[in-house]
Amino acid sequence: MFLHIENLTKIYTVDHETLVGVDNISLSIDRGEFLSIVGHSGSGKTTLVSIIGGILKPTAGRVLLEGVDICTLDDSKLSEYRANRIGFMFQFASLLPILTAKENVLLPGIFNPGPKTDKDKIARDLLEMVGIGEKLDSYPSQLSGGQQRRVAIARALLNKPDIILADEPTGDLDEETEAEIMHLLQEINKTQGVTIILITHNLGLAGKAQKQYRMSRGQLADI
Amino acid sequence: MAQISFISVALKNLKRKTFRTGVLVFAIALLVSLLIFAISFTVSVASSLKKSSERLGADLVVVPVGARGFAEEFLLESKNTSFYMPFSIIEKVRKIEGIEALTYHTYLSSISGLCCDIMPTRIVAYNPETDFIINPWLQKSLGRPLQLGEAIAGFGTSENLGLGLLDIEATIFNNRFKIVGVLEQTGTGLDHALFMTEENLQNIIESGKSPLKKGQISIIFTKLKKGLDPDFVGRILEGEIPEVDVVARSDMGEKFISTLADINKIFLLTTILASVLTTFLVWAIFSAIANERSKEIGIMRALGAKESHIVRLYLIEVLVLGLLGSIIGVLAGTYLSALLAGSFSLLKNISAGLTVNQQAVIAMVGLLVGTTICVTGAMMPINRIKKMEPLLVIKEE
Ligand SMILES: Nc1ncnc2c1ncn2[C@@H]1O[C@H](COP(=O)(O)OP(=O)(O)OP(=O)(O)O)[C@@H](O)[C@H]1O
Ligand SMILES: [Mg+2]
Repeated sequence: MFLHIENLTKIYTVDHETLVGVDNISLSIDRGEFLSIVGHSGSGKTTLVSIIGGILKPTAGRVLLEGVDICTLDDSKLSEYRANRIGFMFQFASLLPILTAKENVLLPGIFNPGPKTDKDKIARDLLEMVGIGEKLDSYPSQLSGGQQRRVAIARALLNKPDIILADEPTGDLDEETEAEIMHLLQEINKTQGVTIILITHNLGLAGKAQKQYRMSRGQLADI
Repeated sequence: MAQISFISVALKNLKRKTFRTGVLVFAIALLVSLLIFAISFTVSVASSLKKSSERLGADLVVVPVGARGFAEEFLLESKNTSFYMPFSIIEKVRKIEGIEALTYHTYLSSISGLCCDIMPTRIVAYNPETDFIINPWLQKSLGRPLQLGEAIAGFGTSENLGLGLLDIEATIFNNRFKIVGVLEQTGTGLDHALFMTEENLQNIIESGKSPLKKGQISIIFTKLKKGLDPDFVGRILEGEIPEVDVVARSDMGEKFISTLADINKIFLLTTILASVLTTFLVWAIFSAIANERSKEIGIMRALGAKESHIVRLYLIEVLVLGLLGSIIGVLAGTYLSALLAGSFSLLKNISAGLTVNQQAVIAMVGLLVGTTICVTGAMMPINRIKKMEPLLVIKEE
């Protein structure tokens, strides 16, 4: 099994009050699968993918990638996991304001001392691919919300991740662009065998995934 | 265009708030220049004292009892004072065990008025047969001994007397003297004296215009046999001859050293206070920076940055800040020291001046302290922020 999630639970504690973000979820995902998760706001979708992506510690349970529990890794190993294996597309604006579009795409490269490929060319190609090849040197403040999202998508692809965690990547894009991005993700999934977990409110998009799940109050169910 | 790196990102970060960056650089520069000035001052005073006492080439200096301070002022600081003891002391000193060689000086202050036609000057009369202090200097400058009726000016005196030209005649206590030259700079208080052999004193005393009486001398310089402890011999000397005080070479300038120690305490206190203040400022500013950029740090962590990467990124920023401030501080401090040197009487009378080596070491100390303080102040906030869970900071608005 490629990615195995076992009894995953996340309990948030704020001022002595507890809130269950993710409630005892177990799930197995094959390499190269494309799955979608829908669910109401606050149902725990972001919490779940954040734990899978190694940017949030679960309260209980395990996340096994090829048999290794990432929740027990030290900072260095966990960071390497994020750098080499995971491509994040955040729900929130996430570009660094001091860097241009291209520099933002290149940013994960400085944390990942991988093979000395021509990252500059890869970054330009990625931005071309997401449709803003002419905005290479624009700063985030000079880009529209949709353009910023595209930069973030290109950035998630730079290090050729095994798993893309796309948290509402098309949140504020028009239908046409949304379809384009979806097409792009499907393309990457098919040609490069990248595993994709897509969170979306758009049931139409969700329906295009191989496997579809719904989250509700921290629990996960097949559709 | 070049690919991005930790350095390029750190430099871009630095440019974000130029005013704040400027304030920080200024504060560090201020601290470092204070430090540089304090060290330069202390080191130059201390080392020129040491140099002066070594130049005199005597292990023990014997002066009339109570005149120890005057002697130091005369020899190191070039103050115009005179003090006398009877010639017979020389024989008593010579009998002390361990004395290998000795010579003596008689000091006189010329006064302006009827007797003399030069500015008030300190006159040093020496014994050319036994001398081991003036003769070596004379050898270099004149190449021959002084004759009766001849005098040679110390390096500093030439300016005071308006000399610079040789073969000038001067009247001192109604005696005509031919000034035959100027000595090289020795770095001692004697740079401000006029030298003549003691045979001239007879005529000066006979003129009746000087306070000097026959058979008086001011100071005895002694060299000890090898391996003897100057302090030990000095104590014996003072014990055997109650009319004298003895100053060992290592104790020369004790009066200054103790003043210097007090000044150092003030410097130390000021520097510590300034350091604490600057560290606090750096800490406050970097706390603000860490808070402002916590979301960005979270994003970088999510993209695969290790804690050590975050530290590296901010360390570069801090180091650039610290080095920039320190370099400006070193330059300003060095300039300030040179500028103010003239307005401190402690430095004016002693020939102060640091060697290039000393200046380099002081500059290095300044750089080190400035940068260390910067790094210390910044590391706490950075360490706090790098530990936070990425998702939680990413979601912060
Ligand atoms: N840092 C936190 N502290 C406390 N509670 C939190 C925290 N983050 C999320 N929660 C709570 O956990 C639950 C799940 O949040 P999560 O962000 O995973 O929802 P979501 O499904 O992604 O919602 P949305 O569709 O609006 O993005 C919510 O009830 C939320 O209030
Ligand atoms: Mg969410």
